[in-house]
Amino acid sequence: MGIVFEFPDYYLFPNGLWVTFQLSVLALAGSLVVGTVVALFRVSPVTPLRWVGGGFVEAFRNTPLLVQLFFFFFGLPLLGIRLSAEPLESNFRAAVIGLALYHAAYVAEIVRGGLLAVDKGQIEAARSLGLSYVGMIRYIQLPQAFRAVVPPLGNIAIALVKNTSLAATIGVSELLQGGELIESRTFRSVEAFGAVAILYLFLTIPMGLGVNWLERRMLVVR
Amino acid sequence: MRPDTWHLFVDPAILKFFGEGLLATIGLSIASIALSFVFALLFALGRLSTRWWLRLPCIGYIEGIRALPVLLLIVYFNIKGSALFVPIFGADFELPRFWAGVLGLSMYTSAVLAEIIRAGILSLPRGQTEASRALGLSYAQSMRSVILPQALRLMVPAMMAQLTTIIKDTSLVGTIGVFELYRSAWIIFTQNFNPIEALFFIAVVYFVICFTLSQLSRRLEVGRAPREVRIKIAELQLRDQVA
Repeated sequence: MGIVFEFPDYYLFPNGLWVTFQLSVLALAGSLVVGTVVALFRVSPVTPLRWVGGGFVEAFRNTPLLVQLFFFFFGLPLLGIRLSAEPLESNFRAAVIGLALYHAAYVAEIVRGGLLAVDKGQIEAARSLGLSYVGMIRYIQLPQAFRAVVPPLGNIAIALVKNTSLAATIGVSELLQGGELIESRTFRSVEAFGAVAILYLFLTIPMGLGVNWLERRMLVVR
Repeated sequence: MRPDTWHLFVDPAILKFFGEGLLATIGLSIASIALSFVFALLFALGRLSTRWWLRLPCIGYIEGIRALPVLLLIVYFNIKGSALFVPIFGADFELPRFWAGVLGLSMYTSAVLAEIIRAGILSLPRGQTEASRALGLSYAQSMRSVILPQALRLMVPAMMAQLTTIIKDTSLVGTIGVFELYRSAWIIFTQNFNPIEALFFIAVVYFVICFTLSQLSRRLEVGRAPREVRIKIAELQLRDQVA
């Protein structure tokens, strides 16, 4: 196992771990923003907006993430959108965009559930007190919805961390690719992939425990 | 501007090529879900066992594997799979990549399915076990003929939802060089340099299959498992919904 951590280029630790971490945080932030907007589309009183939201969710949920990643990776430059002048940076940005949009579809479904679970009386009271629709969403419906959806969003975050491994296929030097590089140079696959597995567990197990703790805490409050 | 390549996707030869890829994807999915169902049943029963030396390894396996990316397992079996079977099949055994992919996929899916099955078993009223034991059935008999038939029937929609996840995950097996639907598109677009068209085409195929299956599982769900179980399953699946 020692060779992995002493390996000259520090592929895995700390570089690979750091890239995985950056990918996860950026993609999670993106998916929360996009997902919330799509969820608002899905509950909006305007029918075409609801169609757009529904189409987004179904399209991104029912196709493989790998296909989406490659679509952004190869497709955006062909459509004339260059993400960055530097090739490695543009791989990274394509991965962030792909991961964010894919998970945004799941986030949207969860947030929508949270929005619909808010008591109708709250909405009616807010409107009759003179709040505009936007104000009601902003101050009444969203804050209450977010409280209820924190644990399921934690599950999405765990899935997202695991899914960052797919970025290796479009040439982002994160954990899995670091492991593959070390394996291809040393042929010590057990150590190399064992170390990758341990580093992933190092990220996902604490998150899992955190989500379980949150779930229990929310149960008590209710 | 690039030349328009949409005409490729009505060419019968190319469509046949994609069809072969689709068949391989379906084969991969069925092989993985069958294999993982068998192991999932064992791990679920093991985790419910009262013997700690049976329960603890099962908990470790289920929680450990669920916390790992499935692509890592697939890549690992692709490289190391042959060596693992050398003690059984002899020194010159080489694991076909198809089966390396199936192993990686089913190792992951068996952990997820085990949790689904366990949730199903736990959702049954305790009276079912107690009554069957009181009638003189052994633990194994009551599991086999009373508990499991009811639990598995409750879990059919959840398992179908898991099948759509597996179908999406088979695209990962394409990255280790197994010919399947994603790989067939990869071959087409690396030769014709039309990734947008080729990926859009297979995305539509994946969408049709997965959307139909998920609608079907939603239809089946009506009036089945109790509410708490459905919530528990939904949470499980969020965490394990991969690619």
